[in-house]
Amino acid sequence: MLCEKCKKNIATTHIRSIVNGKKTEMHLCAECAAKEGISGINDAGLGGMLASMFGDVLSLDPAASLVKCDCCGSTFHDISKTGKAGCPQCYKTFYNEFLPYLKRVHGSIRHVGKTLHAPAAEQEPQNDIMKLKNELAELVREEKFEQAAEVRDKIKELEAGA
Amino acid sequence: MSCWYNNAAPDGDIAVSTRIRLARNINGFPFPAKMSDEQRREVNAKIKNAVSGNIKTDLKYIDMRDVPENERYSMVERHIASREFVSNCENKAILLSEDETVSIMIGEEDHIRIQVILPGLQLEKAYAIAADIDNKLCAALDIAFDPTLGFLTECPTNLGTGLRASVMLHLPVIESRGEMASFTESVNKIGYTVRGMYGEGSNAAGSLYQISNQITLGISEEDAINNLKIIADRIIKKERESEKSLNKIKTEDLCMRALGTLKYARMLSSAELITLISRVKLGLNTGAIKGDINPIKILIEGQPYMLMKTYGNMTDGERDINRAQAVRNALSNVRED
Ligand SMILES: [Zn+2]
Ligand SMILES: [Zn+2]
Repeated sequence: MLCEKCKKNIATTHIRSIVNGKKTEMHLCAECAAKEGISGINDAGLGGMLASMFGDVLSLDPAASLVKCDCCGSTFHDISKTGKAGCPQCYKTFYNEFLPYLKRVHGSIRHVGKTLHAPAAEQEPQNDIMKLKNELAELVREEKFEQAAEVRDKIKELEAGA
Repeated sequence: MSCWYNNAAPDGDIAVSTRIRLARNINGFPFPAKMSDEQRREVNAKIKNAVSGNIKTDLKYIDMRDVPENERYSMVERHIASREFVSNCENKAILLSEDETVSIMIGEEDHIRIQVILPGLQLEKAYAIAADIDNKLCAALDIAFDPTLGFLTECPTNLGTGLRASVMLHLPVIESRGEMASFTESVNKIGYTVRGMYGEGSNAAGSLYQISNQITLGISEEDAINNLKIIADRIIKKERESEKSLNKIKTEDLCMRALGTLKYARMLSSAELITLISRVKLGLNTGAIKGDINPIKILIEGQPYMLMKTYGNMTDGERDINRAQAVRNALSNVRED
């Protein structure tokens, strides 16, 4: 994302704030953020500003800042300084640390769009089992116990296989 | 050279362009900002092979180091690459279709940025083209994806679909009525942003605005695009209706003066060009100006690097002279009667 002010540099400072009940959002590069006097808000400067955005997480668990991503070596402290992950693995390593931030940015922490590596082989028997369980309930309600027993055996078979 | 803005634009009276961008990364490598040169070469080769082996299109692989500076920055002016991408081209490459509607940036903020740009309002079509390329790349490469967080991207603001859908609209009448602020506010509330395409701050040069989705996690591609289409349709309709209530002679005067200046000026700055082109576009919509004019083509081809790519390096003053000449040439067959 480019800086909103100069539209030249990468925006590394993302500021969400609520002023008089109105939500505002700013994405600025370090230079423009400094010009806007944003560093003045926090004595620790820009790094401190960003850290404070992720900060409620860091302060909860100081040990988290010592954990390093296996793949790229980033700590969550590094990530909160730049606002960027180091590698895809970072999201697994620091999943819990990312959640409050994602909640704030997206209002959601669950992907609902296009999926990849869809475990089709796993999903289908699951669906079959669900279908059979519904069938079983129906048969029991209708007191067709013989057929119900057959369906129950089938479910057991499938569950054992999966 | 053929480029997206030469093609027919649905809803082109108001809608200038539609852009779809998908951010993708490959497992097992850091994001570009943290990659070693060797890793960059490896990733570039993987992507290049995946594209050439799986996508039957006219996509051409271009090593950005082989592209002269003026040509590189002119790509930004044609909206086919980001400024960040062209400003440092070490180990960066772009796959570009003949008409430049499809570009795949390799080594931008993410390993892969698929972009489709079409003239006018064509969200579904642009997404269909991007999704088709994406499907093929996802099948050929080990793309970083998490069932809960979706596609994994360097910036957490792109997580999920990695999709940014944008439309660029020309809204001179709504803007002149001071209605942009309330429109922007209502659009922000549903997770979309409005910004000026050119110029700085809230002052949108040429009344050109870009509307894009801001949220990528917890919203499907279809919903993100459909919502944007609803917003765009509504604002386009409003701009068209507002055009009808304009004072006829005042509008005609404003637009014809703009056309006159563009036709006869000997020096034109970028700022003057965009202001006048905006008025000519309005004149074409309202019928004040008749003739075969593509204002967006004139605007883009009058940008600094577009001119320097053709005429060589120039000072600002020389560029203003060349710009005026290029605009006069483009308008030479237009008669104002
Ligand atoms: Zn900036
Ligand atoms: Zn990492």
